[in-house]
Amino acid sequence: MPQAVAEKKLDLAPVARIVAARAPFTEGDAISALQDMQDAYGYLPRQALDELARLTGIPVAKLYGVATFYGQFFLQPHGKHTVRLCRGTACHVRSAPKILSAVSRHLGVGDGQTTEDMVFSLETVACLGTCFLSPVMLVDSQYFGQLTPDRAVKVLETIRGAGRPEGG
Amino acid sequence: MPGTVAPEIARLRKLRREAQERRPAREVRICATGCRALGALEVHAAFERELAAAGLAEKVALVKTGCQGICAGAPVISIEPDGILYLSATPADVPEIVRTTLLGAQVVGRLCFQGPQGPIPKRSDVPFFARQTRRVLDRCGRIDPASIEQALAAGAYEMLEKVLTEMTPEDVIGEISASGLRGRGGAGFPTGKKWAITRAAAGSPKYLVCNGDEGDPGAFMDRAVLEGDPHSVLEGMLIAAYAIGARHGCAYIRAEYPIAIEHIRLAIGQAAGLGLLGENVLGTGFSFDVQIKAGAGAFVCGEETALMASIEGRRGCPRPRPPFPAQSGLWGKPTCINNVETLANLPAILRAGAREYAKLGTPTSKGTKIFALAGKVNNTGLVEVPMGATLRQIVHEIGGDIPKGRAFKAAQMGGPSGGCVPARYLDLPIDYESVKEVGAIMGSGGLIVLDETTCMVDIARYFMDFCAKESCGKCPPCRIGTRRMLEILDRICAGKGRIEDIDKLETLALQVKKNALCGLGQTAPNPVLSTLRHFREEYIEHIMLGRCRAAACSALVEAPCQHACPAGVDVPDYLALAAEERNAEALTVVQMRNPFASVCGRVCERPCELYCRRTDVDEPLAIRDIKRLATDAVAAPWRPPEAWLERQTSHRVAVVGAGPAGLSCAYFLRFFGHHATVFEEMSSPGGMILVGIPEYRLPAERLKLDIDFILSTGIELKLGSKVRSPDDLLAAGYEAVFLAVGAHQGAPLRGISTDTPGVLDGVKFLRDRRLGGATQQLCRTVAIIGGGNVAVDAARVARRLGADVTIVYRRSRAEMPAYPEEIEGAAEEGVRIEFLTQPVGLITGADGRVKAIKCARMELGSADESGRRQPVPVAGSEFDLPCEAVISAVGQVVAAESAWGLKLTDEGTYKVDPVTLATGRQPVFAGGDCVRGPASVIQAVADGQRAACAIDRLLGGSGELPDHLSLSSRRFAVEGEPAPARPRPPMTAPAARAASFGEVAGTLDRAVAVGEARRCLRCDLERAEELKRRRGERPR
Repeated sequence: MPQAVAEKKLDLAPVARIVAARAPFTEGDAISALQDMQDAYGYLPRQALDELARLTGIPVAKLYGVATFYGQFFLQPHGKHTVRLCRGTACHVRSAPKILSAVSRHLGVGDGQTTEDMVFSLETVACLGTCFLSPVMLVDSQYFGQLTPDRAVKVLETIRGAGRPEGG
Repeated sequence: MPGTVAPEIARLRKLRREAQERRPAREVRICATGCRALGALEVHAAFERELAAAGLAEKVALVKTGCQGICAGAPVISIEPDGILYLSATPADVPEIVRTTLLGAQVVGRLCFQGPQGPIPKRSDVPFFARQTRRVLDRCGRIDPASIEQALAAGAYEMLEKVLTEMTPEDVIGEISASGLRGRGGAGFPTGKKWAITRAAAGSPKYLVCNGDEGDPGAFMDRAVLEGDPHSVLEGMLIAAYAIGARHGCAYIRAEYPIAIEHIRLAIGQAAGLGLLGENVLGTGFSFDVQIKAGAGAFVCGEETALMASIEGRRGCPRPRPPFPAQSGLWGKPTCINNVETLANLPAILRAGAREYAKLGTPTSKGTKIFALAGKVNNTGLVEVPMGATLRQIVHEIGGDIPKGRAFKAAQMGGPSGGCVPARYLDLPIDYESVKEVGAIMGSGGLIVLDETTCMVDIARYFMDFCAKESCGKCPPCRIGTRRMLEILDRICAGKGRIEDIDKLETLALQVKKNALCGLGQTAPNPVLSTLRHFREEYIEHIMLGRCRAAACSALVEAPCQHACPAGVDVPDYLALAAEERNAEALTVVQMRNPFASVCGRVCERPCELYCRRTDVDEPLAIRDIKRLATDAVAAPWRPPEAWLERQTSHRVAVVGAGPAGLSCAYFLRFFGHHATVFEEMSSPGGMILVGIPEYRLPAERLKLDIDFILSTGIELKLGSKVRSPDDLLAAGYEAVFLAVGAHQGAPLRGISTDTPGVLDGVKFLRDRRLGGATQQLCRTVAIIGGGNVAVDAARVARRLGADVTIVYRRSRAEMPAYPEEIEGAAEEGVRIEFLTQPVGLITGADGRVKAIKCARMELGSADESGRRQPVPVAGSEFDLPCEAVISAVGQVVAAESAWGLKLTDEGTYKVDPVTLATGRQPVFAGGDCVRGPASVIQAVADGQRAACAIDRLLGGSGELPDHLSLSSRRFAVEGEPAPARPRPPMTAPAARAASFGEVAGTLDRAVAVGEARRCLRCDLERAEELKRRRGERPR
């Protein structure tokens, strides 16, 4: 992924703030600190992980281990919008796989990938816990339920056009 | 400190009193959690505007609640104290609600729950709620979860107050133990016992963890409780902490639930503000604090040791137990981990008292259980029922049945650790033990309803894919075992399975179950084991036949309609041709796989429509009606394209019976170039189509068109020719024999002898009528026994002969096997149906003729193998049904004289190899009704086709039917405006049908049929495109 992004000088002040807010920092704070860092940067940049390791004394290998274990963290820059398609059981039996193939065809990326223009990142999630809306997708923090392949694609077209989601 | 009340407690009581007094007379409650996704906040804003405009802002309180339960009707609104429930309202509906209901005290009918008899305005009358017992969810959906005042007013923290002031920790543990409460997270460990162990464990401080990592796909109970009534969870945590002596608490909630995290965070702040959390709670000297940990997306963290690792900031890998968390948990200290729902139960138990609480439930499982009802069910949502409720109550009564008229297949319970409970257990009282016995687990309460369009192998593959992805990788049985099982399942779903894969899968599953380190791994094989146990035949069909009966596995299914057609007719292709009015070509496409195009255009049971994907959008395509129009539009005589009959061999095959199976077999044998001779006992061909289907459904000339077409391929037909034995045919030089003798003999019914004058056999009655053998003037009153198509056909024929007709059927309408449109037609024509009535004997007059049937009323008991409810007699309910004739139509068997020493099943049909249709005797094959019992035309056609292929293989051929012969243009996209909705064919008015055998259903208008054909979603093109893309992508 874009070498340029990784090499750019990163503002590390957020990491310091996140660590300071948890003083005294213990290992138990690692996951919530990573969550806050992801909120701040949109992903977990390598330099930020190094900085967290330096400030807390937790080996970076350990932080990296945690970051790669949990599905929520990404080590690559994410698109402007995150599309989370539910692959829960209720969605699965209500044709979620067809929605995924339609969306993935429309965006030209697969699960876990980001479009070249950095507008959308496509992810599948185990279950959004909104089974009554199945099949469902979450774009940023907005739910779109009872989808058909066509509707899902239309939602994304609208978002790309307007820059933000419209009505559920 | 008896007698005195701590000032903190006095203050709490005062607050509660004030909050109760403050609640306004009228409330509009809008679910603002789950329903947000469908516009609840917009509806809320509209109410704000409209209430202000109507001057009601002061008088009517607008409350943003948590989940109200019936999520299928989001956004859900209730108006109190009226008890009115409105569903699926939009902001545009709000002015009307304000005007009509809040100002006018009237109900807006169209926004109410729609029952079979019309709108049901009152929430308490809606079956979805009427049949629940909402204890844990009591406050959820009634209060604003962001307001501690409302929670207090509704009784929150009353039990905490009682516990802290009146009970010792041992008392609390004793009470909870006595209540029989078991962990709601899935395993069902007794909560009181877990507490006692933690309390007794040495080490300090002790920890209490609330497990809100609801990771099972398909479960959303904990989410709803946390979002809708966070104070019940917090109060539960405080009570539990007091009981075990915990100083610190942690609420671990999965990151996918941002509203839950927000609400619990808010609740913690509010509770701390009132002295309910922190140092010296309510001045009682008890101290407890709670911190929130947001999960980060790992299913395994629902396992308690993994969850603790995650709280400690590490990778969420489980570790072996012992030591159990109660001895050595968080940071090595005694830790008790309780599920959200378990904790939310605690205040309810203490309020009711252990004894009262334990009255609900089964001997081993007490209280209520919340289920997240989703999948193929109408009323999706949250359901709280007593332990011991049945699946039928949950799915049918509360859930309001399966959408689109499809049938229940199974309930997936317990997510990736659970299994699929098939229809035969619909009446099983659900508790921890019973669910486990049938191969699933209670789990946390996810309950996904599956219907006929769900493939059970695909479900197993789906869960295995989930477990393989979520396996933490620490122990090899899980890390490698799930991967290997997934590979096998992928292979089977792609139609590349081998029969030994089934055994391999089972062995692997049992090994992983036995050897995996943690609960995730040990239970990961459950979905495989349970589907193997209950749906093994689907695995076999995928492997041996390349068939997915649910038409769901994309690698096997080009288009669901085509796949669902037993004969494999290329439905999308002929729909496309029909859309361009190229009817002759459309007809040829049908005939390539089904020579009975005209017959099936009228009477097919149309499995294609049941699986049509358009159903997900609105209604299935009217495939049968389009086929009918095509056959009506093409002038006879029909001839097959010459290319179909180019091959010639010298092999000779004999077919016994000129019904749909026999004639189809002969027809397809001609494709392979073999000579076919059909022997028919009767004087006309057509078999059961001719003698079993009345003219008003299928005019004789329509059958003749198909038969003339079939015979034009050069089949030799010998009518009036009774075969004495297949051996004679083999001796006469035929190289193979296909038996398609049908099931023309009525099955006997105890107590009803067809020897009694006035008692007729249903099949014989229809045959006599059709062949003109006996156009007897029927008696005035006729009773028909049975619920299948023969019973309904006999009833409608008798009605046309002028009789007053009553059908006597032992189950209810829902279980009746006859086609629904036929039942409807009969009712329109004045046929009465006595449901739940079983004939037990005949009453004859002095002349020996029947004069009444003695009947008993029945009620429906528990499910049989297929899930249909078994009728049981109601004691003392016997009565006489007067009638002058009785027609018995309770099933058919193969005539005993045609057994010919072949192996028979218990049902009296030939036993054959399910793949080749070979009987135990080489080279004799059998198919159609004489193998299946009374079945449909298309099944018979499919059997004939399959037997022809098997016979070709036996004779040295490939057994592959020629494909796409002589059809040049195929697989094209259709232009033009589709029909706005599925059209209904014209029907003769019931009054005009009474004395006529004229056809009841008409043909669609040509233009209408074209529009309808354009409604096809063209799954075939989508698939072709996908294949093209896959091929294109490969080099990259």
